[in-house]
Amino acid sequence: MQCANMLLRKIVRSSVLPFAAQHGMKKDLFLLSRTLSLSLCLKQDNACEPSEKLDLDEWKKVMKSGLQEEVSETVSEPKELSSLAAARETLEMWRLAGRAVPENMSEEQLKTFMECPSKSAKKKYLKYLHLKELHKKSHRRKMDEKRERRLEAQDQASDTNETKKSSFVYLSSRTMDKVYHWRAAQSMIFGQPLVFDMSYEKEMSVREVTNTVKQIALSESFNRKTVDPFHIHFCNFKEDSLYHKEFTKQYREAWDKLLITVTDQCYTEIFPKDKLIYLTADSPKVMKKFDHDKIYIVGSMVDKSIKTGVSLARAKRLGLETAALPLDKYLLWSTGAKNLTLDQMMHILLTLKDTADWKKALEFVPKRKYCGFVNKPVKELKKRLDLINTLKLGRGREGVEKQFAKNHSKKYTLK
Amino acid sequence: VQPPEKPLQAEEWNKLREDFKLPEIFEEVMLNNMIRCNSPINVAKSLLTHVAKRNGDIAYSVLVKYLTLCVHQGQVSEIRDVYDIMKVRFKILESGAYNLLIRGLSNSDQWRMALTLLEEAKKIMVPSRTCYESCIKAASCRQEMKLAFELYHDMLAKDVVPTLDVLQSFFNFSRGMKGAELQKQLFGILLYLRENQIYPHKTFMRSIKLWFESIPGGNWRGNLTKIKDSGQCPVCKHQLEESNLSEEEYSNLSERIIRDVIHGTDTFRKTSPKEFEAFQTFVENRLPFDIVIDGLNVSHIKSRKMQCENLSDAVNCLAKENARLLVLGRKHMLMNSSNWKREVMKEMQNKADFFFAENISEDDAFLLYATLRSGKHCRFVTRDFLRDHKACLPDSVTRHLFRKWQRGHQIVFSSVFSQQPAFRYDCVVQTTGDTWHIPYKDVFEEKYSYQVPRKWLCIQQK
Repeated sequence: MQCANMLLRKIVRSSVLPFAAQHGMKKDLFLLSRTLSLSLCLKQDNACEPSEKLDLDEWKKVMKSGLQEEVSETVSEPKELSSLAAARETLEMWRLAGRAVPENMSEEQLKTFMECPSKSAKKKYLKYLHLKELHKKSHRRKMDEKRERRLEAQDQASDTNETKKSSFVYLSSRTMDKVYHWRAAQSMIFGQPLVFDMSYEKEMSVREVTNTVKQIALSESFNRKTVDPFHIHFCNFKEDSLYHKEFTKQYREAWDKLLITVTDQCYTEIFPKDKLIYLTADSPKVMKKFDHDKIYIVGSMVDKSIKTGVSLARAKRLGLETAALPLDKYLLWSTGAKNLTLDQMMHILLTLKDTADWKKALEFVPKRKYCGFVNKPVKELKKRLDLINTLKLGRGREGVEKQFAKNHSKKYTLK
Repeated sequence: VQPPEKPLQAEEWNKLREDFKLPEIFEEVMLNNMIRCNSPINVAKSLLTHVAKRNGDIAYSVLVKYLTLCVHQGQVSEIRDVYDIMKVRFKILESGAYNLLIRGLSNSDQWRMALTLLEEAKKIMVPSRTCYESCIKAASCRQEMKLAFELYHDMLAKDVVPTLDVLQSFFNFSRGMKGAELQKQLFGILLYLRENQIYPHKTFMRSIKLWFESIPGGNWRGNLTKIKDSGQCPVCKHQLEESNLSEEEYSNLSERIIRDVIHGTDTFRKTSPKEFEAFQTFVENRLPFDIVIDGLNVSHIKSRKMQCENLSDAVNCLAKENARLLVLGRKHMLMNSSNWKREVMKEMQNKADFFFAENISEDDAFLLYATLRSGKHCRFVTRDFLRDHKACLPDSVTRHLFRKWQRGHQIVFSSVFSQQPAFRYDCVVQTTGDTWHIPYKDVFEEKYSYQVPRKWLCIQQK
């Protein structure tokens, strides 16, 4: 056997191989051992391209062959799809292509998607759903991790088997809630009213209403937890409005037990007109101090698209006094719109009510919107800014002045 | 990661993949880089083979990326293969793949296949304008003008806006061709430019010129020119269309301005009903004005001067020609202050009518109303581009009307009190049958929406 092998090798080496190489014969033809063919390959590695023995179109075969059974299954299905199902298919393909598309979509969401007026609106809606889904997933994962950790901790605790003894009086969250409710009930009798004007539903999209309700719920909870809460009024509140639907979704059964006043009446019917002040960023008047005898009105509106002057128009129509927060007087404003969220407004108003300290109150303006507090008279500051800029940047005086005027003058400048 | 230059073996790919920090997305990142570096197609193939062998399947996103590479390099047979595979593997395709397939095939001799793909894509979505563009170009460059125009009309019917490139290709490929129908279609494109106030760029203009001159027996001759301020074309001595709106357009526009700009969703947003009524009676009693001035805007022309001084300079300058002036302002101008001297204001009120709006009202809306109400001859003075008011108009037809009217009636003061006159002629593509006048812009010219090109192509039939 060994002898035969030797012979074979000899033959190969001496005559056949060069012949084969010359004519490009396939190596499979030889009944050679594996080692031999490998050594051959190594020898000739520099000469031939690796691609020669790499079948580049093999993937096509794989793709086609793996499909035969699947295809026979799908063919039997009826070709015509309903428009909803077709949309679902398209979305699935988009997801496969790596676009921001949610994995699961309810029938209702799919309908909203199809009702979007334009391609970009559709894209935006899908992206919103996609991000929502991602947030939900990561939240669930975190909760799971937390539960596991808690279980572990419990196991350890049971091992040591120690009972907690403490001399402190333990306040359960239920006790705290009782205290808060007591205070809120008091505020409903003696508290200073604060009005949320719920008449902007027509101005908003569904998502904006949802956001508004979320912000109001935040404000309400913060108000409940302060020492001296406002007596919150929801005015112009219509039953079976979108607001109402969202509120019941947010609060569930607690909605009927909230210690606030909800009415479909206008604030002008409840309170004397001369006591009302409508807070709006468009107001030409700037609020100087918080007045404990006045009733402040906040418009319950989130405007993602720019709608200037909507709440000012409402106040003008009713002939009410208006006011804006003195943001420019106390803050060096940098970017962002001057309208604040409803919960920020609530924080600011509560702080003002308790302390009358503007600086403390305006801490609740988001940090990204301003560079710092104005601690000196504006004129002096302007001079210094000017000097710094001319020294450092060599910037023209006018440019700086313009920038400053933009931020600080409340005169009637041109748009 | 740098894509390899040669096709790799499975082991080599495996090694690269393991070295990569996020192995799950290795293929996609690698293919993206191949697209960027325009790597040879064999390298991508070897990667696909490796993936297919390992997973027994290739993800859709990877296939699309491979398709992108094939389209970039014009590998027609590969594109077809990928299409066949996708068609069997997936029930439907999505828009991205259709875009690529149509683009890839329309440049080849298999361009008819692109047309069938376009029909297929229509079943699931409105095809993008680039899809149409590729198909139209493919058809027109094979001189299948009828087919190309069918696609073009289909596109317009679906509210897909054609690119200038598509429109230009019609002119390029119909050069020297005969046929009354074809000529009518191309004139139709020129009228499309007119209706939508689109200005062709220089190369497009040249295509139009060459097409006109190439019409057999047409005897058209084109010249580049500039139109005089009087509105006369120096080449053919033809008077261009006036910038005035027709009676119907005019009343339509003024109605829309009152309804959408002044009242909008809530009259209180810009003024109040009481104030607007007062303004209306004020204007009706003093009609008609020749020039309406935005007082506050004009008062800011020179920053070194007092605001009332600026305004009085402007009023003096305009009052010379015995014109009836209306100045719009706000009530705070009447308060004696460092910028607004009472004596100067008094003096001005002898020369012009003044209306002072509330400090929180918008005077621009009044400006538009007063000018439109005074009639077609009336013009207005402001440096404001009035973009926000244009934006209040809901449909594009009215917005075009507004721009046209604005061009014809707005006087702009530059800082040295030289007036820039309003245009007397209308700046759009226009024809009289035996002449065409086409405004065009330079290729790299930056043009704002309120500016109009000054260069023209004049075409006349001898």
